[in-house]
Amino acid sequence: MSKQYLSCGSADNAHPTDIFSLAVTNNQILSASGVSALKVHSTTDPDFPLVQSIDEAHKLGCHHIVTDGNGSRSVSVGFGGEIRVWSCHDGTWSENKTASAGSARSTDIWAIALSGNGQYLAGVSQDGHIRVWDLNANGEQIRDYETKGSFGTCIDLSVDGRFIASGHENGSVYIFSTETGRMPFSLSGLVKPVRAVAFSPGGKFLAAAGDSNVIVLYDTSSGEQVANFSGHSAWVLSLSWSHTGEYLLSGSFDGKVKVWSVDTRTCVATHSETERAVWNVKWLPKIGKSEGFATAGASRSISFYREATGG
Amino acid sequence: MGTSLHPVKRYIHETLASALDELSTPDGRPTITLKRRSRNMSLFINPTSRALESNGTETYITYSWPGANAFEAWKFTVIVRALAVVAEAIDMGLVVSKRDIYYSDPACFGTQKIVDTIIDDLAYTVGVDRSALNVEAAAKGLVTGYCSLLTKFGDVIDVQLPRKESLIPNSQDTSEIDISGASWVLVIEKEAIYRRLARSNYHTRAAAGKGILITGKGYPDLSTRAFIRKIYEKSRRSDRSLPFYGLVDSDPDGMAIMSTYKYGSMAHTSQNGRLNVPCLQLLGLRTSDIVSGALSNDDAALIRLTIRDRKKVMTMLSNNPVWAAEGPELEWRTQLQQMLMLNLKAEIEILYDWDGGLEGWIDQNMAAFSQSDT
Repeated sequence: MSKQYLSCGSADNAHPTDIFSLAVTNNQILSASGVSALKVHSTTDPDFPLVQSIDEAHKLGCHHIVTDGNGSRSVSVGFGGEIRVWSCHDGTWSENKTASAGSARSTDIWAIALSGNGQYLAGVSQDGHIRVWDLNANGEQIRDYETKGSFGTCIDLSVDGRFIASGHENGSVYIFSTETGRMPFSLSGLVKPVRAVAFSPGGKFLAAAGDSNVIVLYDTSSGEQVANFSGHSAWVLSLSWSHTGEYLLSGSFDGKVKVWSVDTRTCVATHSETERAVWNVKWLPKIGKSEGFATAGASRSISFYREATGG
Repeated sequence: MGTSLHPVKRYIHETLASALDELSTPDGRPTITLKRRSRNMSLFINPTSRALESNGTETYITYSWPGANAFEAWKFTVIVRALAVVAEAIDMGLVVSKRDIYYSDPACFGTQKIVDTIIDDLAYTVGVDRSALNVEAAAKGLVTGYCSLLTKFGDVIDVQLPRKESLIPNSQDTSEIDISGASWVLVIEKEAIYRRLARSNYHTRAAAGKGILITGKGYPDLSTRAFIRKIYEKSRRSDRSLPFYGLVDSDPDGMAIMSTYKYGSMAHTSQNGRLNVPCLQLLGLRTSDIVSGALSNDDAALIRLTIRDRKKVMTMLSNNPVWAAEGPELEWRTQLQQMLMLNLKAEIEILYDWDGGLEGWIDQNMAAFSQSDT
């Protein structure tokens, strides 16, 4: 069964260079790119207007931005290695220097993830370390897990905060328990670099993908690979689960965006508006019964899609 | 005597004369003062010349003899020795290389780098190009193709045949250049790629017509840059200006070399305005070339960035206005950032295995540029 997602607008030329990362709240989408400013667009207005430009956020540009579950905190990492924490008050973002105090000392962190309540920041470093900071305790570092030293390209925290998953350049995928600091089991990784990992909302699955063009689904209770989604013909750079966990969204280097049904393990929709890299894809908050998502990358625009609710 | 007209001669004469005056007084302390750009200079792209320039403050360093310590005495000595070689070269009308100066007394100079720095400082102090000191680095660049050079001695250097490839002559030695037979100029980072293209007569057989192949063998020397600049000026003056393309590795050094040709080097900001080639376009290699399409099948061609590579990219992004967010080359900035994102670089050599080979790839990419121009 295929589903239809219709283009419902875009923030054209939101940035003057590649958009590398997106983060969403209930009513906003934050975007980070190769220039210094972070941009905030409203997702409740059908025109997706720009509501804030956070200028001079990262001088060398920004490659990762994440938000917590309530949309009150955001964290971004710049190409210069700096980590900055942002707080939202009445829809306007400003820097929270206290929260970032500890993590700001770490300059080799690449990818980051923020816990649902915004308290814990997890990051994976270029030498494969996974670190956790407590942003409510001046950003104090509370965990440091070591892996085999391969470049950490991506990281995710499970919604309940019990697990951290990381993906690495050598194809490894790790899951750590935040309670014990141990790996409950070792996962058979991918043969090529991993570029994205994402826990399903219920925490039952971990999806991982990268240069092998395939998305692998792991069962998080056993560590077994339970499914492969093939269909992309270029590197998969980004993954996002829908709120119900029914659908998985993926974007690849050749500009393709796909929606996969987790139940039937098939691709139910493909979009290819651009041939240029899609660096990031994110589901948007549900409006009524209709689900939608946003994509961005080398096209420099943010594109929005909504499920066609006909019939 | 034309001494008063020649700034270098005048400088040497005055410096040595005042040193001698000091020596002939009982407590005399001969000194030499060098002018140097301060380290924390601010760099910018000159909107008129489109070259990388600096408005940094100058600092003056004075070395006296015998000086406060052995280092100062030695520094004074090596500067005088270098000056002596320069004075002799100018008197005799000869061009010497930095290597010649070093080998005139290796024990005294210690390293080649000492000589290089002194010569650059002397040129800057006098306010002239290094070539005005009659000092050239040993010529490094190579050229093949549809250009012929007339030397000031009246010789014609024709470099059309592959066997006739030529070392790029010192800029002072060429008086005229004929590029009327060429339709394009390709500046190549690497000698190996240059040799392959020259051997296959690419300058004769390219889809874009006849052209000129040039390599500076990595980071170009001043002679190579001056030579390309000469072609650029000639082309600009003619009624048909040639397209200039740069072919470099997809790595931080490749991008830095591209920038050196187009905007100039951070080390010689005072000369960049006379050496830059503003119309140079990046032919490749781009990150997207190496990730997508036919090239992605060969993973061995994709190389991880080293820690040095990543640091270098960060330094380039933060220090050089060429890559600034408000700078003239946002696409180059994005290239560097894409390398960091994917932690990936690649060498031009991967194009050997491309469908149509290196030559086919260049044909196609030059065509894409000429279409977007019209």
